[in-house]
Parts: sequence; structure tokens; C-alpha cells
Amino acid sequence: MSTDQRQAWFARMMESGLENDIFAPSDVLAHATPDVLASHLPAELLSRVLASSLAAGSMTPERVLETVTPEVMAKHLPHEVLWQCIAAAAARAGVDKAKAVGS
Amino acid sequence: MNIKAFFVATLSTALDLGIATPDDVLRHVTPDVLSAHLPRPLWARLLTACVGAPRVDAQLVVETIGVPNLCEHVPAPILWACIEELAVRALGGGIIAAPGPAATSRPNPTTAAPPSRPIPLSTPPPPAETRPTPPPMPVAVGPSIPSPAAGEGDGDARSRLAPSQRFRQSNTGLGRLAANSARRPQAQAAPAPAAPAELASDRGTPQRVKRGQTESDYVDSETFVGGKDDWKNALAVEDEQLVDWSAADETVTNGDELGRKR
Repeated sequence: MSTDQRQAWFARMMESGLENDIFAPSDVLAHATPDVLASHLPAELLSRVLASSLAAGSMTPERVLETVTPEVMAKHLPHEVLWQCIAAAAARAGVDKAKAVGS
Repeated sequence: MNIKAFFVATLSTALDLGIATPDDVLRHVTPDVLSAHLPRPLWARLLTACVGAPRVDAQLVVETIGVPNLCEHVPAPILWACIEELAVRALGGGIIAAPGPAATSRPNPTTAAPPSRPIPLSTPPPPAETRPTPPPMPVAVGPSIPSPAAGEGDGDARSRLAPSQRFRQSNTGLGRLAANSARRPQAQAAPAPAAPAELASDRGTPQRVKRGQTESDYVDSETFVGGKDDWKNALAVEDEQLVDWSAADETVTNGDELGRKR
């Protein structure tokens, strides 16, 4: 399993989770906190996030994710952080492993 | 929230990228799970594919049913357990243990095998010494019957038999053995047996071993020079016996050869 494959898979999971409302952008930023973003995103992306927010007049999670796309997240953010976001959403949906064992 | 669409996208991408294998899916979506949740038309399709396929494995099952159908009918907790295992493995946490019933209800033993793991192979022991050990003197004189272990197709044992057979087939070898057996009483009859006894203990016994091993070892001039002197001493004492021996042994016609090999 190469890094590119894992990266593509996590990008697809994040994209699908957002598309299917498994989790919302706010859920993503609950794990990909500003500290995480500031620590891992390159300066160029941080600049674009700030520029888009300045242009819109606000920095909402949805607007952040317009720049920090699932591909960008999978490329720069730790996959453990992304997985925590996915797993938390699965737990909220009631499909976590504990219920799987009990079923 | 469309959790099934999320599962479809996640599993399909994982399979396409090689993150997951069909075996990983069937480790959770066991035949028991399929039998309980898969509709009969899909079962009919699966059975048809399996009957016509030369090999039934997890890939055939997953491809025949299809990931969308799996995610549509298999309970979400089971699919999530599969995805979670893939994620843990992708994140470097290793493969988590599969649920017990899932591991025991696999349809195909080949697909039930766990993911391959390198097996430390101990270095093979060094090859056994192939240098043949000569049989002891009584064995060489008597009939040589291979042991049961040597006769059970052991190539090494057969290779060890070859020199001994060659030794037995040689008439000169038998003659030499006969000469040795005939000469021993001569040495024992000698009045000064100290020197021959020492030779028998020091040189005589290893000399037998050398004769049975190789021809290069067979020529041991130093040993025979010493033995020749004692032999002459023995001749001086037991001359009559030597005359009887040479006259009786008609098969040993080439006495020069016998002397040369000594």
C-alpha cells in the first residue's frame, strides 16, 4: 500500500462523507483544528484560506473547505486526524464497531 | 445522511486502489451474513457465477454481487467494521483481529488464509559430510548387506555403497584381505610381538580406514615401510607358513601386483 493510494482513499472517504452528509464541514474543522491546519498546511494554502475569507467577509467552515478540499486534506493533514473525523461520524450514525459486534 | 453511499464510495475506492482486497471484505461479509441478508435473486446470480467459474474465490463473490449491492443489503455495522479494519491497517496500526464467527465461516479454505506474513526461515544445516566411512574389516570380509535405511532410496547412502562395492569386486582387494588374515597368525607367532602390536594399535587400525576411503590415502608409503621391516622380521621367523600361503593361494597369480600395492 503506497502513500499515494492511502492518500487517494482518504480523500475519497472525506469527499464521500461530505457529499453524503456523514459529517459536515464543521465536523471536519472540529478535528482539523486551526492548530492542525496551521501546523500542516503549506504557507500558500494558508494564504489562500485567509484571502478567501477576507474577500467574503467571514471565515466559515464551508468556506475553509472550499480551499482545503478533501484532496488537500488528504495530502497535507495527518490521516489519523481525518480518520478520527470519519470514525466519530460513524459513531454518531450508530455504525461503530461496538454495535457491529453486538449485532 | 446517506451512509450506504458513503460505504459504496469507501469500499469501491479501497478495492480499486488496492487498499482492500476481496478477502478483506469477505472476512466480514461472511457467507452467513450473505445468507441472512442477500436477496434470493442476488444469490441466484452468485450461484450461477460460482458454478460456471473454474475457481471460486472472494474476488468472484465480490465482483458478482457488486459493492453497491453489498452495501445495500449488508448491515452497516458489518461494513463499518470492514472499513475500520482497512483504516487501521492503512494507518499502520496493523490488522485488527477479525470477529471469531467471521473467521470460522469462510467458504473457501484458500480465502480463509490470513494475509501472508514473512516466515523466518532458519538457515539450512550444512550438508552432511559425504566422505564415505569405510566399513570395519569384518564387514568388508563378510557379505555386505545394505541396511534398511540405506535401501530406502537414500541417494547419499547409495553413494556410500559404491566404493565398498568397488572394493569387494576387486579380486586384489579380497586377496589383500585374505593375505592380512593369513598373516596375522604369523605376527602373533613372532617371538617379539611388541613392535607389531604397536603398529596394530597405532598404524594398523587407521591404515584400514585409509584403505577403504580413497586411493590416494591408500598409498601410505611411510606406514608400509615400517610394516615391511616388521614383516621381514616375521618372515625370518615364520618362513614355512609363508611358503604354504603362496603355494595354496592360486588365485593371486600376479604377486608383483600384490607386492606393489603393499
